[in-house]
Amino acid sequence: MISLYRRVWSEKNVIARRQYWGLIFVLPCVIFFAVFFLYPLVTGFYLSLTKYTLLRPPVFIGFDNYVNLFNDRLFLKAINVTLGFVVGSTAPTVVLSLFVALLFYQKFPGREGLKLIFFSPLLPSVAVVSVIWVVLLHPSGILTHIVRPLTGKAEITWVHDLTLSPIVIVLARIWSAMPFYMLIWLAGLTAIPQELRDAARVDGANRIQSFWSVELPLLRPTAVFVMAVSTISAFQGFALQFVISPNQGGPVDVNTTLGILIWKYGFQFFRMGDAAAISVFLFACIMIVTGSQIALGRSDRYSIN
Amino acid sequence: MAKSTTPYESDAAFEARLRRRIQKLILFSTAALIAILFGFPMYFMAVSAFKAEAEILSTPFNWLPQEFVGLYHFQGAFERAPIGQWYFNSVFIAAVQVAVGIFFGAMAGYGFAKFQFRGKKVLFALILSIMAVPFQILLIPLYVEIRHFGWHNTYAGLIVPGMLSAFAIFLMRQFAISIPDELLDSARIDGASEFRIFISIAMPLLAPASASLAIILFLASWNNFLWPLVVAQDRNLWTLPVGMTVFSQPYRGEPSIGPSMAVSTLATLPVALLFLFFQRYFIEGMMVSGIKG
Repeated sequence: MISLYRRVWSEKNVIARRQYWGLIFVLPCVIFFAVFFLYPLVTGFYLSLTKYTLLRPPVFIGFDNYVNLFNDRLFLKAINVTLGFVVGSTAPTVVLSLFVALLFYQKFPGREGLKLIFFSPLLPSVAVVSVIWVVLLHPSGILTHIVRPLTGKAEITWVHDLTLSPIVIVLARIWSAMPFYMLIWLAGLTAIPQELRDAARVDGANRIQSFWSVELPLLRPTAVFVMAVSTISAFQGFALQFVISPNQGGPVDVNTTLGILIWKYGFQFFRMGDAAAISVFLFACIMIVTGSQIALGRSDRYSIN
Repeated sequence: MAKSTTPYESDAAFEARLRRRIQKLILFSTAALIAILFGFPMYFMAVSAFKAEAEILSTPFNWLPQEFVGLYHFQGAFERAPIGQWYFNSVFIAAVQVAVGIFFGAMAGYGFAKFQFRGKKVLFALILSIMAVPFQILLIPLYVEIRHFGWHNTYAGLIVPGMLSAFAIFLMRQFAISIPDELLDSARIDGASEFRIFISIAMPLLAPASASLAIILFLASWNNFLWPLVVAQDRNLWTLPVGMTVFSQPYRGEPSIGPSMAVSTLATLPVALLFLFFQRYFIEGMMVSGIKG
């Protein structure tokens, strides 16, 4: 009896038994992600190979959805719209947020208070941002008034204009996204050891030289992170276009991003197969960006891994 | 001031001081200009909620309401739509998602940090890879799945798919790693069960991480737009972000900018309070999670 007891409760055995607890602790999450992540991820790919309208079971049709997509005027336009939104919002956001971070990195009176005001766009949800911009963009509203000395017009139909509406949506996006990226830049700047700047100063570099040859190279991981994250999130552009532009992505689909198109095909036309195929395409685009982020530099303390 | 005007100061020193002053002035005014530019829309939202409808769009912009209408627009908003219900839905969904997310996130994070078991590395790598997949990719198949469950247009459909996050596990694991093994072992020697050790030793030690995580999870839930938009068809199941977007349209021929600004203000208020009281956690949380991208 005692020997059996010793064998079962030997130290080694206790440790081995204890390790099962690790599995028990992670199990709820593992099951959850199997059901609400892995399963939909796999079915998403399968659905993209089917014709499915929610009414009847999906019918397997091979790669027809993909073939059709590349002849679909709306899809090709959505790619352009999405790329326009990605480039139009990412490039200014990245550069301007770096500029603002450099500004707030300097010491001057009132800095903390002004920084707090600058951060205020962090607070509203994207729905609130959209609703506010709808009002700011009223034809005879405040934005029209601000540019009136330049245009001389008392009314500008910002969101109904084919050229202007993507631009103002990019503006809204830049406004709402900048403080976040500024925070990341600021953290990157703060992480640079002061000695390096001092050393550059001693070597006779002025501020601008020190920025270009000391700080900017050291900010490379931050730059990669900021560019990747803002590109990835712009690729998923949805809510701003959905709320601000007329008819969810109009006028004439100039604001129909891939995200909006997924919603339209899925929940307006109930063409789940096509919507799933667009999702797979969007996934591939985003994976390319993620892949280049990994290739460009992993030594980044803010990267997810 | 008195010191600086002493006659002993050389011209060069005075000049340098003057230059520094001017530099600071330029820095301050540039920063002030940018701050006003970025702060204005939020100020516009808040002040418009208290202006008469006609005054909101009138130009030039009145920095303070000429005709202060009190809570008129708030009342108007509540009369037109079940704002109270939407508010409740948003709070309720966020509360459940935060509570469940923290508890199971901590549990899994602790499991990954403090135990060795077969397949651990593979499982953790898989969970990390979840974070790289944007939600839009899952939208269609997840919706189809939820419909099969009969959860379409229910609280379960709104809450369950967003209840756990891979990020929560990742964050909790990072913090759980630093829990000293001796502490856990001494509890084991005292005869505590593993679950008991998790609850009464690991969880309290993970409290600071839970605070940041709570803010991250709250914001993700509170701001979520796409999922409630497709799952909740019933108006009474809408959340604030979904419901408020109807306010951007005129209501029965009446312009409704005032009410829409009032609802926007109400929806932003909890976040603003969080920001004011937990600024450090708030900013840290945003940075590590990248949710506001």
